[in-house]
Amino acid sequence: MTQMSLTALPRLLQLSSPMLPVGAFSYSQGLEYAIEARFVHDAASALAWIDDVLCSGVSRFEAPMVARMHTAWQQQDSAQALASNALFISSRETAELRAETLQMGFSLVRLLEQLDELPQAQIAILRAQQEVSFPCAFALAAAAWNIPPDAAVNAYLWSWLENQVSAAMKSVPLGQVAGQRILATLGRKLPALAETASGLDDDMLSNFSPMLAIVSSRHETQYSRLFRS
Amino acid sequence: MQTASKRCLQEGWAASLRLRFAQDESKDTILAERQHKGPLAVQKALYPEGRAVCHVILLHPPGGVAGGDSLAIGVTASAGSQALLTTPGAGKWYRSSGNHASQSLHFQLGAGSVLEWLPQESILFDGADVHWQTRIELEAGACYMGWEIVCFGRTASGEKFGNGSLRQKTEVYCQGKRIWGEYAAINAGDDLLSAQAGLANRTVAGTFIVAGVVFSDEALSRARAIEVTGDAAGICGITRIGNLLAIRFLGNSSEMAKQYFIEVWSVLRPFACGRAASIPRIWNT
Repeated sequence: MTQMSLTALPRLLQLSSPMLPVGAFSYSQGLEYAIEARFVHDAASALAWIDDVLCSGVSRFEAPMVARMHTAWQQQDSAQALASNALFISSRETAELRAETLQMGFSLVRLLEQLDELPQAQIAILRAQQEVSFPCAFALAAAAWNIPPDAAVNAYLWSWLENQVSAAMKSVPLGQVAGQRILATLGRKLPALAETASGLDDDMLSNFSPMLAIVSSRHETQYSRLFRS
Repeated sequence: MQTASKRCLQEGWAASLRLRFAQDESKDTILAERQHKGPLAVQKALYPEGRAVCHVILLHPPGGVAGGDSLAIGVTASAGSQALLTTPGAGKWYRSSGNHASQSLHFQLGAGSVLEWLPQESILFDGADVHWQTRIELEAGACYMGWEIVCFGRTASGEKFGNGSLRQKTEVYCQGKRIWGEYAAINAGDDLLSAQAGLANRTVAGTFIVAGVVFSDEALSRARAIEVTGDAAGICGITRIGNLLAIRFLGNSSEMAKQYFIEVWSVLRPFACGRAASIPRIWNT
């Protein structure tokens, strides 16, 4: 991994913390319906589901987009960042997944506006957009805080993973130790996934996870639910 | 000197078809233009539901697509016209001997037009290496209804998609803005085929897109009330993203996928364009 300055590290931890006030905790990305459908019913099946979504979905589209947007913001190429933003939004498979990234993106832009040491000109560009995806705002902050791209992608995947595990703990439910075991097992995969994601060619981008899309669609009419996706 | 057939074997067959539908003075839809090159053709325009909607059956006489072949289909529905396109049988994508086979679909929908692309399933033979690209562009008030049903392997005979690859790109633009993008990059043996969140070991995946219409809650719940039947592994889901509905099927039976999509289409079509579903006769043969 690229050497990261210790001044950037706290920023990275801040950006990927569950305390970041963007409401991530209220989304399960279909996991809640996967539980309803009994695809997920214990620690092993929760690990398998999250592993599948991570490896066949998130790391093949979302993570590569974070890497691309990070590069674009770093190069002050806001046109490219916005093109990736539009591509990412139109790639979200369901109404809930689209609403999720837009709400979180909106909240993060509002937050970044109120923090110091950030390029307000870039933030104003996002502020002017009707729709901002969460990865686009995340990448802007990471680039502005001099967080190296590989570290940013790893951290993005980590916060996604942590959020999924937290959702599984609440709704399967799972205990603390079971949750930590999933984090440890899947956490080990992140560096390799992030590296692949960052180098992925455009024609290898894939957001095709049909069961995830079906599960997320069915979550929209799930009778009893805690989560917004 | 190379013979034509030898050259075909080496370089593949390039086929293209370009159609334009238009509305005439009496509000009938006519097939105003048709140009084809290579083995792609249409039969005469059919009017099973009156003159306002033109049905056309696309023919690909070779019956299958081999490595190196390319199909390019461009269809324009000019303002106010209404057209339905289908195919007489499953599209077969053969094992590749090195080159990939490609299909490009480009649908342009003028203001207030309706275009329905309701082909039979596409079967990826084990070892097929295919690139599919679909671009749909809608102007104001246009409505697109189109599905793709993909079988990974000749599953009826127990074949799996153990070799080969699929690159698929489907994009929908509404008045210039991309509202939908689906991108698949699948290599045979890919974890995605077995991943529970991916194809979950199912062999048939279908996506039915209806774009350009904001469906009412009533229409949406009626469509959602339809479930897959006759396929124990079958599951479906519908989402409404603004003026786009994405209806998905995952299972093991392309027949049941078709049946599910036809049922959903039958519910949605009256809401989308004020017409009851008119089942093309070719589907029953």
